[in-house]
Amino acid sequence: MARVTIDPVTRIEGHLRVEVEVDNGVVKDAWVSGGLYRGMETVLLGRAPSDAFYVAQRICGVCPISHGHASTMGSEAAMKITIPNNARIIRNIIEGAEALHSHILWFYTLTALDYVDVVSALSANIADTYALAEAAGTSTADFGAIQKRLKGFVDGGQLSIFTNGYWGHPAMKLSPELNLIAVAHYLEALEMQSEAAAIIAVMGGKFPHFMTSLPGGTVFIPTEEKLDDIYFRWQKVSNWINGAMIPDTIAIAAQYLPLAGYGKGVGNYLAWGVYDDKSMDPTKRAMPRGMLVGGLTLTQPDPAQIKEYIDHSWYESGDGLNPAKGETKAKFDAYSTDAKYSWVKAPRYEDKPMEVGPLSRMLVAYVAGDPDVKGLVDFTLAALGKAAGAAGPLPVTALQSLLGRVGARNLEAAFVAKKMGAWITELIEAVKGGDSKYFVDKTGEGEGAGLWEAPRGALGHWVGVKGGKISSYQVVTPSTWDCSPRDKNGVRGPMEEALVGTPIADPTKPLEALRIVHSFDP
Amino acid sequence: MAQEARAEFTELLAARGVSRRDFLKYCGSVAALLGMSEMYAPQIAAAVGKLQPALWMAHGLCTGCTESMAQVDNPDVPTVVLDLLSVNYWETVMAAAGDQAEANVAATVAAGGYVLIVEGSVMLGENGNVLRIGGKPGIDELKTVAAKAAAVIAVGSCAVDGGWVAGSPNIANATGVSKFLKDSGINVPVINLPTCPVNPEWVVAMLVDVLLMGELADGSILKKLDDKGRPKLIFGSTIHDNCPRRGHFENGEFVVFGSATQAADEAAGFCLYQMGCKGPTTQTNCPLVRWNHRASWCVESGSPCIGCGNANPITGGPGNWFDASAPFLTRHANVRLPGIGGVQPSTIGAVVGGVAAVGLVAHGLGSAAKGRVKGVPTETQKVHDAKMASKGGDK
Repeated sequence: MARVTIDPVTRIEGHLRVEVEVDNGVVKDAWVSGGLYRGMETVLLGRAPSDAFYVAQRICGVCPISHGHASTMGSEAAMKITIPNNARIIRNIIEGAEALHSHILWFYTLTALDYVDVVSALSANIADTYALAEAAGTSTADFGAIQKRLKGFVDGGQLSIFTNGYWGHPAMKLSPELNLIAVAHYLEALEMQSEAAAIIAVMGGKFPHFMTSLPGGTVFIPTEEKLDDIYFRWQKVSNWINGAMIPDTIAIAAQYLPLAGYGKGVGNYLAWGVYDDKSMDPTKRAMPRGMLVGGLTLTQPDPAQIKEYIDHSWYESGDGLNPAKGETKAKFDAYSTDAKYSWVKAPRYEDKPMEVGPLSRMLVAYVAGDPDVKGLVDFTLAALGKAAGAAGPLPVTALQSLLGRVGARNLEAAFVAKKMGAWITELIEAVKGGDSKYFVDKTGEGEGAGLWEAPRGALGHWVGVKGGKISSYQVVTPSTWDCSPRDKNGVRGPMEEALVGTPIADPTKPLEALRIVHSFDP
Repeated sequence: MAQEARAEFTELLAARGVSRRDFLKYCGSVAALLGMSEMYAPQIAAAVGKLQPALWMAHGLCTGCTESMAQVDNPDVPTVVLDLLSVNYWETVMAAAGDQAEANVAATVAAGGYVLIVEGSVMLGENGNVLRIGGKPGIDELKTVAAKAAAVIAVGSCAVDGGWVAGSPNIANATGVSKFLKDSGINVPVINLPTCPVNPEWVVAMLVDVLLMGELADGSILKKLDDKGRPKLIFGSTIHDNCPRRGHFENGEFVVFGSATQAADEAAGFCLYQMGCKGPTTQTNCPLVRWNHRASWCVESGSPCIGCGNANPITGGPGNWFDASAPFLTRHANVRLPGIGGVQPSTIGAVVGGVAAVGLVAHGLGSAAKGRVKGVPTETQKVHDAKMASKGGDK
């Protein structure tokens, strides 16, 4: 047995440490430690609900839109505000743009370097690279020029952000040609994530940290010029997702099929749902609310069944409380995987750890029978079945793996891109129809929750409002669910559980463990 | 000699697959951003040699400033990380992790001559354990890397003074980089770039100043900074000074959220001052540089400015933008308006005439008298403003 530590885990949002026990080249146990506590829930107390909207976004600079929306929805639920229809559509478009931005950034900038060997791309044959791109149905670029630029860079001897990467690692499986295609799209992805983010800037002032989805609706008023701007940016990103990101995903996945054999984790999935339809019913959201526990049977979650444990977290009180009544009182003593080892609490649903994220959402939507999700998933399972030389498509249960968690996120990008087109059209029609309501100026008192989804999973802001001020505030982020430490029963969190069983070729370079961690997009 | 250097430089660019024309174009845009003539471009270009080593360290952050850097307009991200800097450590985007990542820090610190970029608040709570990096309090590593840095750039309001994390009651005991280094006895030049997140164009502008123009070596960079360590060119005027909605402010035409005419007034670009806009008290050039490839900026989207660029690196916490500007949607009757107490940029005086705050108030009152501001119960506040202005403002 050997204890292997990755600290810092890089290519994530925030600070994370992972320890694994490796025996005979396989992970036997794992501990995931969140390294940062800032106190957002405390700083918001006594502030105005609109202040909470502006500041709560600063929990996460990669998914500020989702935090802003969850905060606003929590305040609106507490104050019993129903937002105008135009505000609903505008929020969907902004939220969707963030998902596209985040998924593109995650796949190419954050996780691709676990699968793509940048240095190997130097030995790609250019003609073969074009042939491969055509065969894979993915977009071409000036592969020769990119290889030349890369060579100049590597020959310069200063590798910048690529210094000390896992180049030549035995777990890297792509051909030099596929590596070169991926490097070309890595560079294009930087432009595309930015294009998606610019949609948010147009509708929200800037990204990250936007300005317009205040409690009551939105203060963004679409003009023809702005609508045009949004439409063409969406079209560019959408075309690229379908023309590069999806075929890349299938081509790369086909070379990593063994990754469908491990990394399943806890096998319980929770989604609050995201993108409201006219009814504002969470089970009718474009990504619907739902839960799958231990199998693929759909049930509806009851937020009252959530408890957060702190037995292995550096907090001094509030063990086993529902977030509506939660406490956050920091108290560090020492780091020990046998006792307390994280700033992350351990949320559980009926004492079960729940995985959240695109895989959870896609599985819920698949089981619920969404035709677009079913189409995307079935198409991919068929393509990978063919790549595996199987008689038919891979089973849906193949998604419950490292490969499935990675793939589900990219397929969701295609799903959201399609929906966004419909929402933009819906907004144009609403504006043309003369609906000029965007905001209701109303206050109230009470308690509420904004149960929504960030790109990386189920997100809840529980908000109390009294006398125009925030009286209570608790947040359970996706990474609180996925990166949670053990609970009072010693049950591992979803990422910890998913790490168990992962093969590690070289304990000094635990690339395979990093892949598991990154698959959750923490 | 200069010609030789230029020829060598052109070869270097060519080796990296960048044409000299592209590079000069880029230098031109940077020069413009810095308010310099494009004639400086050859000088900038000639100053480039090998890639400048840099470390980008993550402290009490949301990663929004790194995200913001990914939205930089010109030069684009690949140019920054492949052709301009060798960013040997940048948690969010670097290939290496764990031991391999830590080794990059050690090697860069040993070699020296690097620029340290810090994102996020400096976290002091629980003896520094509210932020743990590599199994130790984050501040331990910060001291080590800052002590050997050639210069430090604090990006974003959190790094400048703790930002919202230092907002009352500052439960995790956050502070800014300048204050922390001063208290730790580490003497290294710090450039402060507030706003939440940082605007990426400013970061690039500073990198060019520090790295390419050699202004660090001769100390001239420091002369370009104000008493808060901020570049004067970027933070020398208020948002209100350059706001495209300014004309409507002068005319007393205001947007009111929830009013019957909100949509029409917003579409017409009326002023957001009545909704609490902190443009008059916030010094950044956001209206000019804008955000996300110049796509828009906060006020253009319909929201009042929330003053995220207000930061106080000297106190390192008190005066952070959250405490200074919230409640954001409330028009602060007692805020210090430009013009009171001698910090008045001349433009306001020229446009409004006389003492700005008095002009401001008179204007507001005037517009109400003309019936343009409906349903805004701000008359008492305006009377208060007028009183404060006559006393020289409440500071």
